[in-house]
Amino acid sequence: MDRATLTLKDLWPCFEGIIPATIATCAKDGPPNISYVSQVHYVDPDHVAISFQFFNKTRSNIAEHPFACVMVLDPRAMQAYRLYLKYERSESSGPLFHAMSLQLQAIASHAGMSDVFRLRAADIYAVRRIERVEGFTSLPTPPQDERPPSLFIQPDLHALRVIGERLNRSACLGELLENALHCLDEFFGLHQTMLLLVDERRGTLQTIASRGYPENGIGSEVGFGEGLIGTVATAKLPLRLSGLDHTLRYARAVHDRAEAVSGPDAVCREIPLPGLSNASTQIAVPLLIRNRCLGVLVAETLEPLTLLIREEALMAIVAGHLAAGIEQSAHEGDDTVTVDTPVAAPLPVRSAISQRSFCFYHADDCIFVDGEYLIKNVPGRILWRVLKQHQEEQRVEFTNRELRMDSWLGLPEWKDNFETRLILLRKRLEQKCPDVRLVPRGRGRFALEISVKISLSEKPA
Amino acid sequence: MIPPAIVELLHTGVSVNVGTRDADLMPECTRGWGIWVENDRQAVTLLLTESASAQTLANLRDNGLIAITCSRPTDHVTCQLKGTVTHIRPATPEDYDRQGQWRRAFLGELIAVGVPAEQADAIIMQPAVAVEMQVTGVFAQTPGPGAGERV
Repeated sequence: MDRATLTLKDLWPCFEGIIPATIATCAKDGPPNISYVSQVHYVDPDHVAISFQFFNKTRSNIAEHPFACVMVLDPRAMQAYRLYLKYERSESSGPLFHAMSLQLQAIASHAGMSDVFRLRAADIYAVRRIERVEGFTSLPTPPQDERPPSLFIQPDLHALRVIGERLNRSACLGELLENALHCLDEFFGLHQTMLLLVDERRGTLQTIASRGYPENGIGSEVGFGEGLIGTVATAKLPLRLSGLDHTLRYARAVHDRAEAVSGPDAVCREIPLPGLSNASTQIAVPLLIRNRCLGVLVAETLEPLTLLIREEALMAIVAGHLAAGIEQSAHEGDDTVTVDTPVAAPLPVRSAISQRSFCFYHADDCIFVDGEYLIKNVPGRILWRVLKQHQEEQRVEFTNRELRMDSWLGLPEWKDNFETRLILLRKRLEQKCPDVRLVPRGRGRFALEISVKISLSEKPA
Repeated sequence: MIPPAIVELLHTGVSVNVGTRDADLMPECTRGWGIWVENDRQAVTLLLTESASAQTLANLRDNGLIAITCSRPTDHVTCQLKGTVTHIRPATPEDYDRQGQWRRAFLGELIAVGVPAEQADAIIMQPAVAVEMQVTGVFAQTPGPGAGERV
């Protein structure tokens, strides 16, 4: 080891808590103090955290004079090191505090002393100098290549772990989808992403969540086998396209096709797929469970050479978590469970508009609001049912169960994806008509909140 | 005077951790390799190695202020002694005899808590410097409530 450039990372075995560390401090009026510390925790290359459990002389000395000397031992060869520290701050919440607290609690509960051993704070110290104690042991220090990198994990691996935890903590499907795209942005810089779910009956994929686009494109559709996304859904394999030719871009292709097949009138009933019109690279990975494709996760970028095999691998792992979460929510019952942290309802919008006119077209199950296309098919029928009951019976609360039993909605008996359709509807409303909202009230229940006057009309088939 | 229970503890192969500070109040810690209580129970002698404890010895020569925390590895019974160093001298054959007794007990403790024997045996304890310390305070330091109280 190059002793001149000793870093905290070189000391990783010392932070496993195998041999207790000691801390020397000094009172302002002179007397030194030395005591054991429960945990010396690596924070970053320049900081360590020391557990603070009891008010003692060390704590009072540090408050007066914030310098300390800590001796840690590498248990592999009994090699000692001194860390010269300066106290910076105390944390009594946050991930570091919780990790240290949990470790302490586990030890304490082993000893039946949970009330006694309690972490008051993680005290953060800046490391001013590291010194190897010479003449401590006659054993050689193990060479660097014997050291597993296990304490300082790859940032990507750490990020995937955090993402996995966040996704598994999501209380409902909507939160799961939002968290997934948010995490891809936050941890891997994937700023433009979308998620499409398979509608098996109609042989299409529908956008259920997107991030980073001016138009969220929720509800837009892609057929199986169509473009990058449709191909990925059919092949059940990830695809990465770089240096895209403008004419090949799937978003335009979908739009053009709709126009060509049905004429310009049809286009107004198609929601354009979100997408960067000049994306240089796109990655699409399938959401697979038991080899069934539940959907496709898409990321794209304007910057060439930024979406590469690494990003594809990371997305594939996140897609696996998503698939499991989506599948799980499809099997959950309609029990009206109050979720501890319900999805944040969009803030009531004070609209300049005082009235909204909704029109239901029976010919194609379509709803228009103020003359603009809003939604169609099952989500359209759900909205119509809710609006009608609100108007006729002044109802504001609805349960998934009662709607599922409603034969007019035309839901399949098995795997009705009700929750997915509700999310789609909720997001279309947020975008097109924010003064009519479907606010979750725990699992299996929602409320209709309306802050304008509404009128309903129908056009028969 | 050091209470009998602490005298007994100090003679059971305890770890010896030494805290000092320099003229600028910068703290320093090191390990001692052997400790025993003098007959008057007012003083203890501990052994340090010059190579591993150079700054500690410099601090002691400068101001003599010392704190030592001694802990028995197998049950964590711990105490802290505070005081002033009265004498620093090269270890004598008699000191090494007493260090030998302490070393057997200390290595037994380390091996009992899982330290491999060859690692414990590899600790460099000689040549040593004997530090004589007049004890002015004895504090309970066993982890938990009550730690830090004067005995």
